[in-house]
Formats: sequence, C-alpha cells, structure tokens
Amino acid sequence: MAEKTFLGFPRRSGRAGVRNHLLILGINGLIGAAAGRVAAALPGSKLVATPYGRGQFGPDKDCHFRQLVGIGANPNIGAVLIVGVDRKSADEVANAIAARSPALIEVLTLDDTHEDALELTARAIRLGARLAREISRARRKPISMADLYIGLECGHSDASSGLAANPLAGALADRLVDAGGTAVIGETIEWLGAEHALRHRGAVPETGEAIVRAVAAREAAVTAAGVDLLGNNPGAENIRGGLSTIEEKSLGAVAKAGSRPVAGLLPFAEPPAKAGLYLMDGPSFSPESMTGFVASGTQMILFTTGPGNSYCSLLAPTIKISANPTAHEHVRDQLDFDAGDVFQARETLDAAADRLFAGMVGFASGTLTWGEAVGEGSECFTRIGASL
Amino acid sequence: MLHPHRGVPVTGRKEEAGWDAVQIAPGDHVAVALRDLSGTVRVRCGDEILSVALREPIPLGHKFALSDLSEGDEVLKYGAPIGRLTRPVAAGEHVHIHNLRSQRARAA
Repeated sequence: MAEKTFLGFPRRSGRAGVRNHLLILGINGLIGAAAGRVAAALPGSKLVATPYGRGQFGPDKDCHFRQLVGIGANPNIGAVLIVGVDRKSADEVANAIAARSPALIEVLTLDDTHEDALELTARAIRLGARLAREISRARRKPISMADLYIGLECGHSDASSGLAANPLAGALADRLVDAGGTAVIGETIEWLGAEHALRHRGAVPETGEAIVRAVAAREAAVTAAGVDLLGNNPGAENIRGGLSTIEEKSLGAVAKAGSRPVAGLLPFAEPPAKAGLYLMDGPSFSPESMTGFVASGTQMILFTTGPGNSYCSLLAPTIKISANPTAHEHVRDQLDFDAGDVFQARETLDAAADRLFAGMVGFASGTLTWGEAVGEGSECFTRIGASL
Repeated sequence: MLHPHRGVPVTGRKEEAGWDAVQIAPGDHVAVALRDLSGTVRVRCGDEILSVALREPIPLGHKFALSDLSEGDEVLKYGAPIGRLTRPVAAGEHVHIHNLRSQRARAA
C-alpha cells in the first residue's frame, strides 16, 4: 500500500473535502421549490431540500435537525446557502453548522422578504453566485489518509457480496483505519444473525453490548409489527441472487466491517469523536442509511452490490463495487470497481484491496465516479416519529 | 469468532480456478456456486476438492447441500446458522427460500 495522501481541499478546521461543493440547503418543506429554483440557477451547486421542518417533536425533531446540520457541515461542502421560512430556525441551523464546520454560510428566509418567495429566489441566487466564486478559489493539496472518513454501504446484495465484495470493503476499511482514517457501517437490521461476529469486536465491552441491544430493538420492532422479513429484507433482488434469510444476508454484510476493533456505536447521523471503525444504528434502506453517513461527515461512500444498484449519494462520491461477473456484463458503466476476479478466485483479496485503495485515492483526489459523471445522486431524510 | 476473510478462495493464479463452488467455513452444510452449475461439480472445502453430483441446476451465487439433511436441521454457512430446513434436503439439492426459513424476527 503506497498511497499516503490524497489531493483534497484543506479546511481551516476539521477534515479536508474530497469535493468543494456549494450547497443550497432548503430547511423547510414550504420553500423546497424556491430552494430548487435557486439551485437550478447556479450550475454546479448541490440541492438538498427537506420536505419536512414543521410539526415534528421529540427524538424525531432532534434527528431531523441532526441530519440538516450534519449535511451542511460535511467536509465536502465549501459553502452553504441556507434557504428557510423563519429567521429563528434558519439561524439555529446556521449556528449549529458553524460550530462544526468552517464552510462559508449565508442565510435567507421568507421573513427577510415579507413572505415573497420570488424576491427570496432572486436574492438567494445573487448570494449563491458570490459563494460559488469564493469557494472556486480553493485548490487541492496533499492530505493525509488519516483525514478520510468513508461510509460502507451494501445494496442489492447477492451471494457474491458476502463472499467477495463485502470482505473486500472490509479489507479496505482495515487499511484505512491502519492509516489513521475512519470508517462506518450502518443498516442495523443487517447485523441480525451476526451478533456473535460483532459482540466481541467492541474496543470496550460496552460497545459490543450496545450493538447487541441495538439489533434486539430492531428485531423487537419487526416482531411487534408482525412483519415477515422475507421479501422485505432479504428483498427480491437478494433472493434472486441466492440469499435466503436475514441471517445469511447479515453474515455477508458485516464483512464490510473488516477486522479492526469497533471504536463505538454511533446514533443515526452522529459524527464520530475519534478515528477508527464505527457502527451506526440506522435504517437499512440505502438512501436513508447513506444520508446518515453524510450527516455524520463521511466524504466518500464505498457501495457494494451484486447485480448492480445505481443509487448514489449527492454529496459523498459513491464508489460502486461488484464481484458478480454478470453485473459487469450488464451494467459495466454503472460500476466503479470490478471485484469479479476475487469471487472467481483469480485474484487475492489483498491484491484487490490494494487496487481498490489506489482507486479510492483517485476518486478522493477528483476522479469522477459513474454517478458524478451522469449527475446521479440524492440525499434522503429519515423520520423516526409521527408528525403533530 | 467468525473471521470475515475466512474461506474467501485465494489462489493468486490467473488461470481458471480449479473448483466450481466453495464451502465458506469448515462445517458449513452448504456450498456457494461460483458460476451457473449443473451435473457433477468440484467443491472447494478447505484444502480439499470434493465432487458433488447436483440434483438440479444451481444458479451463480446460490447454494446447495453438501450432505443429506433432515427437516428441522439448522443450516450453517459462514460457520453460523442461517435458518432451519422446512423439509428434508438431499446432497446436491438447491437450498433456498422453498426449504429454508429464518429463525429470527419471527412473530410468536
């Protein structure tokens, strides 16, 4: 493993960015469309607009706020233009982002324009154009691999995932953690049946017990709802690919966690306190899970799949890996890394992990993922409670 | 403890691997097909290559029994239980949702 650095955008504090985005952050569903008009007028900007923002309470409200703030504070964001309805809630989001990130921040709300959404649009475009020009002055510099924080996700898994692509992602996580970096896996329900493999991985015993409790809580919710996981998780694509039960899928999925000690169990969308390997207690649907990673601060996501899965994060370049040889025939242009030779025993896991590590350094340094090349990508807010 | 890398077939050779399916962990009741399979196939079990006559075609990634199993048996893959059989399964038979059920998250 030769690469010690990648070319990233240094920040005054916190991790470096692997991208340098202007983010248009709509923090209230009432002005989502206005935020969209602003982003459409600023080519190259990224739009994240929540459909929610009112009528939430308790842990659900906290979770939504954590996602908004975490998205705005992601290291890939050079500047944030917050578009809101009322000044008070917009300033709360802006202050919380500023506490975590050195990004440039501007705020505009309907309070500032006497509820005039078109005036808000015009003024926001002007502010956004200034921010775009300002952040374009940044240049990439060599950054230590220790600054990298990646999310490890799987979607449309099949039997090749557990045998090759996920162990490969795990080997990459080991290499990154050994280099002083940070990695996270989520999707709590996909630890179900693999608790024995995770329980003893905690850097302290409490972490292992917290992991087991998190799985038990999800299992209890499923059981209480009287839901049969078959057809849901594993889903149709998993079953077509040869996975029969959640236990089987989980045993393959947790290979993404590699072999290093688990430094902690993160609440959904929470940033890690230190470097190392983390688990995040969150939903298994990729759009939700990955936004939890992005809000936690991951600059990139490694996404393993069996037959292919086109979904990408909007803000964290998403590297698509498959070890299924037929996937590379059918969706070659929608994959970023071919691990088929590992599955078919023509390449060692270590050799492939070295190749993937080098590829990851390239993507971190600006090489486009397939999703970036075609503009694939979104962020998806998770709700964990009922609305008022 | 399950080691996630255990059982990943590693040869470092460029030529075609000398087996068609793998038993991931010692003691596993099933092997995973590395390509679409039918007939008699070579299964890598640890350092050994065993011959198994398939009773039906097995698609890439799907699994088949390595020995005769009974209804109610717990099936091991990755060295861990992945469910129980809902009917008897003969060596070389496809093991999937038609004869294997999860033991977890099941309503009482």
